[in-house]
Amino acid sequence: MEDKKAVNKGIFEAEVLSNQQIRQCYYRLNLQFDAKGSRLFQNVTPGQFLELDLSRVSLPDASMIPAHLRDTAVKQILLRRPFSFSDVIVTPLSEGPCVKVEIMYCVLGPATVRMMSLKSGDRISVLGPLGNGFSIPQGLKQAVLLAGGMGSPPVLHLASHLKRHHPGCEITAFVGAKSCESLPFSVRIGDHKGLVLEEFEMLQVPSHIATDDGSAGYHGFVTDKVRHWLEDQSVAPDSGAVFACGPEPMLAGTARLANDFNLPCQISMERMMACGIGLCQSCAVEIKSDAGDTKYRLCCKDGPVFDANDVLFHKA
Amino acid sequence: MMEQDVNLTVDFAGLQLATPVMTASGTCGYADELSEFMDMSALGGITTKSITLKPRKGNPTPRIVETSAGMLNAIGLANMGMDQFIEEKVPILDQLDTRIFVNLAGQTIDEYVTVAERLAKEPAIDGFELNISCPNVKKGGITFGTDPKLIKEITAAVKNVCLGKPLMVKLTPTVMDISVTAAAAVEAGADALGLVNTFTAMVIDIQKRTPVLANRTGGLSGPAIKPIAVYLVNKVYNEVARDAGIPILGMGGIRTASDALEFIIAGATAVGIGTATFVYPDTAKNIIHGLADYCRQEGLSNISELVGSLR
Ligand SMILES: Cc1cc2nc3c(=O)[nH]c(=O)nc-3n(C[C@H](O)[C@H](O)[C@H](O)COP(=O)(O)OP(=O)(O)OC[C@H]3O[C@@H](n4cnc5c(N)ncnc54)[C@H](O)[C@@H]3O)c2cc1C
Ligand SMILES: Cc1cc2nc3c(=O)[nH]c(=O)nc-3n(C[C@H](O)[C@H](O)[C@H](O)COP(=O)(O)O)c2cc1C
Ligand code: FES
Repeated sequence: MEDKKAVNKGIFEAEVLSNQQIRQCYYRLNLQFDAKGSRLFQNVTPGQFLELDLSRVSLPDASMIPAHLRDTAVKQILLRRPFSFSDVIVTPLSEGPCVKVEIMYCVLGPATVRMMSLKSGDRISVLGPLGNGFSIPQGLKQAVLLAGGMGSPPVLHLASHLKRHHPGCEITAFVGAKSCESLPFSVRIGDHKGLVLEEFEMLQVPSHIATDDGSAGYHGFVTDKVRHWLEDQSVAPDSGAVFACGPEPMLAGTARLANDFNLPCQISMERMMACGIGLCQSCAVEIKSDAGDTKYRLCCKDGPVFDANDVLFHKA
Repeated sequence: MMEQDVNLTVDFAGLQLATPVMTASGTCGYADELSEFMDMSALGGITTKSITLKPRKGNPTPRIVETSAGMLNAIGLANMGMDQFIEEKVPILDQLDTRIFVNLAGQTIDEYVTVAERLAKEPAIDGFELNISCPNVKKGGITFGTDPKLIKEITAAVKNVCLGKPLMVKLTPTVMDISVTAAAAVEAGADALGLVNTFTAMVIDIQKRTPVLANRTGGLSGPAIKPIAVYLVNKVYNEVARDAGIPILGMGGIRTASDALEFIIAGATAVGIGTATFVYPDTAKNIIHGLADYCRQEGLSNISELVGSLR
């Protein structure tokens, strides 16, 4: 009576279509999945992720490696690395769907240094799709999106997803970074002299920038920028919602903010992951439970998107 | 399992295993988490995450860190506890067409005995692996695993309530002489030996000058430990297991069929795949095919001929 478990994730191969530097340490990697991967990814939602095996990718030429990473970059890697998508394009073909995904990555250590050397035609092993993405509440009319640094890819994906599938929803994006240099998007001076982010502009989604050093947009935390904005707007709790991805202190700030304005809020968390599929328990996220106690949930399997009210944040 | 012309079945402490390849505790979830990636019936067996009497939250994060050719973990035996395991997971295990070993952990001998006694009644469970070697728990665990007197006491106590199901004792490599601890377990009635568990280790963040893991130390696993694990399996096989007729489950850094073959030649009757499963969840399946290929090349009709065949 073997009731075969539905297969909704797997290991498959992807072909690199392009790998371009977009800003200082940021790159955009475009992949095309094979038939198996395309089948698995055709209904993927923003906030879900995949894992790449980069251990077989060689190091780029030493001159390409950022000076501060030359020492650590030579470290061998063993485990896969998790990445979310900034876009997913599904093309239905007669022989089945064809899926292309775009990954934005920041060069930080041995695995992402290796990623720099991927070139068109290379093949890499993918595990996915993993985790649960953002869930769009029924009747959503206003979506407030917050992205911090490398948390930006799934937020961009969410913006395009909402545009495509929820045309009645008004979207506003806020992106925070340390400085203008470290914004993962292209910045342009807009029609009204304000700065806009081209990636969001292409989707016709208004965007606002906040930088810690004031080198672009609002001088301060992105959560403060959103707070001022919300004070001027009326976002109704029953038809509005906040969605965020970024560093943990930013997510903690977002949770407080949403709470103050009584808005539902979903956040996408990050943890060091050994497996990505619920085998190892390495990616625990502390969740408030009823009795004032806490319990751990797995970021890879139960998340990475959580209800902001459920997560217990720790002071950095 | 018959891979056409090659017989991969092995006898492990009275249980017939379809193949000598199992999944290692803590690296394959509780039950059928890997069934999306392979046909579970090809496995010799699975070893569940350590189960304790009460649920355990486990350690704060970071719980893992990668090293060159390995990783450290300090999960802290996070698990749902016996009751929820029986309610939610045992019915799933019951459906799986492979041998099920439950890994037991606890703080006191009583706790181990209570869990073993209750789980032994479950027909879905074929045997037990006694984890007396987890390096990441403050009380219990490793202190049991390093003291031969305590090993005897706990092994005998648990053996007594297993209802005749095989009891494997999983040894820590972090001891002066692993043959001494292995002999203690065998003397007290262990039906099989599992080796090795992880090696206690540390990674330091040089910017912060703190350990990377919240638990400060963790257990090293992965390819980095393989040659040491092969050596220890061979040592225990020669000094304890062969003469006692006790099978060994060899573990430590196995990624490929040739890794698994080293363990088998060194004296392991079966092997456990751990860390490698994280990277390629279907590793065990590929290893099984590789074992059959090797037997064919070497003209062996039965994989058990290889066990302990080191010249
Ligand atoms: C669900 C999820 C989605 C992600 N999506 C993206 C993405 O779209 N683009 C992108 O560039 N990165 C993303 N990341 C992070 C990415 O996985 C890491 O940057 C990458 O693993 C770094 O590998 P490395 O070997 O280059 O550097 P490492 O040496 O492994 O890490 C460099 C630094 O980053 C920190 N770090 C690494 N991984 C994590 C993590 N998982 N959580 C918190 N800190 C971490 C390390 O502590 C270290 O300080 C995501 C992570 C998760 C969990
Ligand atoms: C993340 C992780 C969790 C583990 N949890 C357990 C556990 O709960 N109980 C146990 O006996 N061993 C546990 N182990 C040890 C493995 O079962 C195995 O003995 C060890 O990792 C060596 O094999 P490997 O190098 O193939 O991983 C764990 C290992 C890892 C990497
Ligand atoms: S990364 Fe292994 S359980 Fe989440």
